[in-house]
Amino acid sequence: MFTRKSLGLDDAQTALDAILGALSATDSPIALAVADEHGVPVLCLRQDGTPPRMLRRARAKAYTAANLGMDTVVFRDTAVKAASRTLEDWGDPMITALQGGLTIRSGGEVVGGIALSGNPTPRDQALARIGLDAMGITS
Amino acid sequence: MITNLTISLEDAKTAVSAALAAAKPDDGPIAVCVTNENGDPAYLVRQDGASATDVRNAERKAYTAAFIGRDTSAYRLQIAHDGRTVADWSDAMITTLHGGWTLRRGSQVIGGIGVAGSGGEDRDERLALAGAEAAAQLAVDAWRAQRKPRP
Repeated sequence: MFTRKSLGLDDAQTALDAILGALSATDSPIALAVADEHGVPVLCLRQDGTPPRMLRRARAKAYTAANLGMDTVVFRDTAVKAASRTLEDWGDPMITALQGGLTIRSGGEVVGGIALSGNPTPRDQALARIGLDAMGITS
Repeated sequence: MITNLTISLEDAKTAVSAALAAAKPDDGPIAVCVTNENGDPAYLVRQDGASATDVRNAERKAYTAAFIGRDTSAYRLQIAHDGRTVADWSDAMITTLHGGWTLRRGSQVIGGIGVAGSGGEDRDERLALAGAEAAAQLAVDAWRAQRKPRP
């Protein structure tokens, strides 16, 4: 038997509050997904006016970041683009190479993933970073 | 052009909070999901300890209640009465597990709420009802707020 660390709802809500506080008037309404170490959702939120596909994407990004233990932009650049692979190679329809999903680590261990969609993907990632930092989990 | 009512994130949060508040210490940790009228999630919360299955089923219950426009327990009775199975809908998201309630404004479907993980289907249903009632109360409050006082 062994134990694994996993992200809790309190952590997710801390991230949510920080992200909502960081949104500016020029941002589009967002979809946010925070997942545990398997990529299973802990908290999902879709602001009024955000198309449902955005939450689908955010969930896929959070799943990918948690499940692969790699930020989605790093996954895109190193595992997909640089290696000339396509997403089909992973055989998992939830895997995405869209930027905006970040792996959450505690003491080197993957404990979850956080992701946004709704804005240009670099902004999605910047907002996810704000949430990640707010949780105060040290990698 | 037509207009459709749909649930707001604030409504969804109110409903989720009410469902969580109704849970007692001897209930298992739950997942709660609120969707719009099309079954697309607006807010989904998983309490610490609720399983991946609970997350999936909370979402499927909310989806079914919204998309079919029937509370999931009533839907189960109906298809049993009609001699059908869920497979007839060709939709893997459809479930007849109790614990999904349709959210309405008047006769119009505006969303759905689903709860899973409390330990029993019928208890899930009771907790989801607390959320649905809170959402319904918002409609009453909104109606009262815009009602013109009698001269």
